Amino acid sequence: MKKFFVLLSCIFSITIAGIMFSQPKVQAAEKTYTIGTDVTFPPFVYANSNNKYVGIDMELIRAIAKEEGFKADIKPIGFNAAVQSLSSGQIDGVIAGMTITDERRQKFDFSTPYYQSGIVMAVAPKSKITSLKDLKGKRVAIKTGTSGADYANSIKDRYGFKTVTFDDSDNVYNDVKNGNSAACFDDSAVLNYGVKTGLGLKIVTKPTNTGKYGFAVQKGKNQELLSKFNQGLEKLKKNGKYDQIIEKYTGSAATSSKKKENKQKDADGHTFVGLLKQNKDALLEGVWETIELTVVSIICATVFGVLIGLLGVIPNKFSQGFSTTVIYIFRGLPLLVLALFIYNGVPSLTGSKIPAFIAGIITLTLNEGAYTAAFVKGGIEAVDTGQMEAARSLGLPFGKAMRRVILPQGLKIMVPSFINQFIITLKDTSILSIIGILELTQTGKIIIARNLEGFRIWTIIAVIYLVIITLLTLLSKWVERRIKD
Amino acid sequence: MKHLKVDVTDLNKNFGDNHVLKGIDFKVANNEVVVLIGPSGSGKSTLLRCLNRLEVPTSGKVVIDGNDISDKKTDIDKARENIGMVFQHFNLFNNLTVGENVELAPTELGKSSKEEAAQAAKKLLKTVGLEDKYNAMPYSLSGGQKQRVAIARALAMNPDIMLFDEPTSALDPEMVGDVLAVMKDLAKNGMTMVVVTHEMGFAKEVADRVVFMADGKVMEEGSPDAIFDNPQNERTKSFLDKVINV
Repeated sequence: MKKFFVLLSCIFSITIAGIMFSQPKVQAAEKTYTIGTDVTFPPFVYANSNNKYVGIDMELIRAIAKEEGFKADIKPIGFNAAVQSLSSGQIDGVIAGMTITDERRQKFDFSTPYYQSGIVMAVAPKSKITSLKDLKGKRVAIKTGTSGADYANSIKDRYGFKTVTFDDSDNVYNDVKNGNSAACFDDSAVLNYGVKTGLGLKIVTKPTNTGKYGFAVQKGKNQELLSKFNQGLEKLKKNGKYDQIIEKYTGSAATSSKKKENKQKDADGHTFVGLLKQNKDALLEGVWETIELTVVSIICATVFGVLIGLLGVIPNKFSQGFSTTVIYIFRGLPLLVLALFIYNGVPSLTGSKIPAFIAGIITLTLNEGAYTAAFVKGGIEAVDTGQMEAARSLGLPFGKAMRRVILPQGLKIMVPSFINQFIITLKDTSILSIIGILELTQTGKIIIARNLEGFRIWTIIAVIYLVIITLLTLLSKWVERRIKD
Repeated sequence: MKHLKVDVTDLNKNFGDNHVLKGIDFKVANNEVVVLIGPSGSGKSTLLRCLNRLEVPTSGKVVIDGNDISDKKTDIDKARENIGMVFQHFNLFNNLTVGENVELAPTELGKSSKEEAAQAAKKLLKTVGLEDKYNAMPYSLSGGQKQRVAIARALAMNPDIMLFDEPTSALDPEMVGDVLAVMKDLAKNGMTMVVVTHEMGFAKEVADRVVFMADGKVMEEGSPDAIFDNPQNERTKSFLDKVINV
């Protein structure tokens, strides 16, 4: 038993050390900035068929970085997460087709605008809706935090419609296409591009509420990066590179070739085998990240949970109170809230960044660990009190009685709960997609953002999860049999 | 008076508002066998459990073999090594074999090597008539067998005093005899014993002294003959009427 604990704590420390060292070191020569962006916002940001991020924003930031001699580490974590990560200082800048608004100016400093766009309304091709007036009593799909959403919310009372909010553009479009929502609002550049490349929606209003897109940094911070961006943009505009980029993504040549590419890809993109082939590398990376997260979190959460659980049963009011409190807090918090709090909340308080992977591990360790602690405590308490009394009455100290008599019996009671918790941990890693960890679920979101093959991709993702869970269950059952013998 | 093994003075125990023991004075001499009787809820078991601090006294003094058990500074684990205890529900360690149950405490506490402990365990199991159960798991034993293993386990630490908390109450009637026989042997060999029991026959035959408790107080005590044939206290009389005339 003692050896077991020593082994566990060894694994724990090695894992932690491993994580620390595996983090990329900041290079002194060429400064690296972490730039957050959206998952999908074509033609500004989207992943091409090689899962490489392209689009106007991506080409601009890369060209500017090259021009100004810095490195841009692009993190496609979704618009909402990017904005939050920027305000908490987790990332250095955001370029994601973000409209410059007064409200945003209070938190961010913006570059000189690099694009001008407006809000338009799009509906399904067969829809009879042609103006805002037709929206009365209908539902409208919007994407969180966008100026399209602000616009829709500002006029919804006047025109009597309701809004439904999504995190990704493709969910917005799908909701309109399948008739759940009557219309959606988005930037004209985005929707124009989408319509031209075969999105399957039609635009029915003229651009309104025109806004300018800007690159953003945290207010008062990273001014060097901001001025580099402005200088770089100026240079690109002068040497014609800027116009080239814009033309590349919005010109008729670009959109028609993209349309052709879409059609061609449709041929093999509509079969499971075709989709698997196209996205093999991305999916494998996602699976690997999910497995890494799961294994590390299971180890950390088990060690943490067993320790907290044991603290809850030793006869000391302080340690019992501590254990109860830890369980109460971390079992009570929704995993999503905890993840966002650790990744976005804590850094804005302390001012130091936490890498998403570490934040994810901490989140799962605390949450799953609290559940583990609860059933470890419960398992020990489920052992007949007479066992402890008999052991103590022989003169065995509490620790020895615990180790030799109570824990072996308690562990047997806990084994099914452990297996259950391992499976839950695996599934819960999917929630970490919210902080932009490129695990299986996030990978799925990104692929769908590109090809809009929601049904088939989610089926593939679901099957992969089931396969991993089956393997994990088989492994656990094998271990369980070994323990029982 | 011979050397005192147990010396309890003015012992009080409260469970919340429930005043279970009300100023108990209780002495046991060396080699003496004392049987505690009385209606349920009278505090017999609580008194017994205070003797090895399984229950912490609310006030009063409990001295066993010169060690003040009620003093927090006393090393209670050390003191318990010399106080054997047998429970109503046996409490054999379910995760260990019969042999391991008996050997656990002596080996864990460094009293003897594995080999010595194993030898001693086999010998003890023989005296309780269970030498063939050395490798058995507790769940495969009958109640009577379990209780005899429990006695062997307590004896493995060579205690000076043995406490029995209703050792036969959870047994099928045909098993009671085997367990009582083992206890009689112990008494014959001079073990100091405090026994809480409803076995009046055992009390009559083996006890040096019988203590009758009711409502958290000692009502009456004396030789078995005095208590059973000529009880003075009204509570004792009515209790004995009920138990013996069943």
